[in-house]
Amino acid sequence: MLKRIEELIGNDCPDLPSLLDGLPVGVALLDDAGRVLMLNKALEALTGYSRDEVRGMPCRHVLRSRACVQGCPHGRDDLPGAGVETDCINRHRRKIPVRITPVRVSDGNNRPVCVLDVVEDLTAMREIEARLSQATGQGQIVGRSPIMEKLLRLVPVIAQHDTPVLITGETGTGKDLLAESTHKASPRSREPFVRFSCGPMPPELLDAELFGRMLDGTAEFKPGRFQQAQGGTLYLSEIADLPLPQQMSLVRFLDEGVVLPLGASKTVRVNVRLMASTAESPERLVRAGQLREDLFHRIAAIRLHLPRLKERGEDLGFLLHHYLNHYAARFKKNIKGISPEALRLLCSHDFPGNVRELKNIMEFAAMVCTDDNIGIGHLPGHLPGLLESAPAKSRAATGRKSGRKHTEER
Amino acid sequence: MERRVLITVARDEIAPRFDLATEALLLNISEGGEILQRKSFLLAHASGDELCDLALSRDIGVIVCGGIEEEYYHYLRWKRIDVIDAIMGPLERVVQRLADNRLRSGDILYDREAEHS
Repeated sequence: MLKRIEELIGNDCPDLPSLLDGLPVGVALLDDAGRVLMLNKALEALTGYSRDEVRGMPCRHVLRSRACVQGCPHGRDDLPGAGVETDCINRHRRKIPVRITPVRVSDGNNRPVCVLDVVEDLTAMREIEARLSQATGQGQIVGRSPIMEKLLRLVPVIAQHDTPVLITGETGTGKDLLAESTHKASPRSREPFVRFSCGPMPPELLDAELFGRMLDGTAEFKPGRFQQAQGGTLYLSEIADLPLPQQMSLVRFLDEGVVLPLGASKTVRVNVRLMASTAESPERLVRAGQLREDLFHRIAAIRLHLPRLKERGEDLGFLLHHYLNHYAARFKKNIKGISPEALRLLCSHDFPGNVRELKNIMEFAAMVCTDDNIGIGHLPGHLPGLLESAPAKSRAATGRKSGRKHTEER
Repeated sequence: MERRVLITVARDEIAPRFDLATEALLLNISEGGEILQRKSFLLAHASGDELCDLALSRDIGVIVCGGIEEEYYHYLRWKRIDVIDAIMGPLERVVQRLADNRLRSGDILYDREAEHS
């Protein structure tokens, strides 16, 4: 077979090397044992090896991709049609994110001739993704207070392991965001992050939603959240709302790594990191019989607590300005700051809705503000300080009116 | 002077990547090129950090590996460990070259003719 390929490169098809060199993506021509027959110019630049140097070498040593080492597709009958996103390390010790798409080439009689590995450099795409993620603020949790800095320092450490995590904290403290940040900092970040809210639901439907179901009368399988999160992270919000039988299934997953889909007779192994959250004290939930104690001890292997906003010290001022800048930019307003009166009123507020409430207040204020500074009149009227004083209330109403007018004019 | 060398291994060849290796071979090589000690390590999972820890805890002087990320390379150099990287080849040939003190970064030790046969 190799002779046929060499003929293809050398004699029968003399233009093949120049054809491959003209492609803007990296291409490796491999024999059926995964040895390099040729690299095109783009791949020479990416790997740092010339085609003559590595001719006949196993491609795993030339591409050095994670996919080569952890699940080489060559030699398998079922070459994946879609590309595999992975990373490779080149001769210059640079780690490069790539997508590798193996394409099997057959002759007229459907006999395999060789395999083309198409290697796309994803560096630029990853940079754009990172910029977009920063711009939208997705998956980012911020804080300057010592308590939050301590927590944020833990995230990259915790992210490196597959140990289950339980996040506690009142509503609006950022539990979902913390879970997503942990996932994004983890080696699983390229895999799905699946969020599931354990709200009231019929048990059968809940089983199907979580663990998947075998469709009646067919061999078809409808994946559940566990299968959707394969390779990534499954985050269960308000875990204590889950009925006790489903909690038992989670215990089994944490012990054995398997789940039993609805209607199936055999368990299925899944590779998922489990995170969960609750707004209540888990100890109280265990005492009340709402959370199984065995599940609590397993899921709380790592436990993170998000404090109330009022307990976060200087974070209040920091987050006020953080969200003010964020929404001023979004609404294209030239707002420079917050007036001392408005700041005093906001600092005296208790924020029962925590960061979510503060974010909503700043969104409203930035939306209605037509001045350089956020004043009392731009704050939502339901804030206790504004409700107590009638003049302030009337100012608030004026502010809202002016905001409405502004919106209508636009 | 005796050399302590750690080689990252995958089956019977050099592991293509340092951070994905789960096996390592520790060699003590005498000044005359004699292999004094040969010890294998199996890691529970692939981890560049753990390999660095292993090298530091075992007082390794030289690491031999395939591809290695810049971060690990500079860290090991900073810890005064020599890194002979980008090696491709069967383990025993690499060991022989090491013993002869002729192994250099980027060496390809596969037999090209044999690969084609």
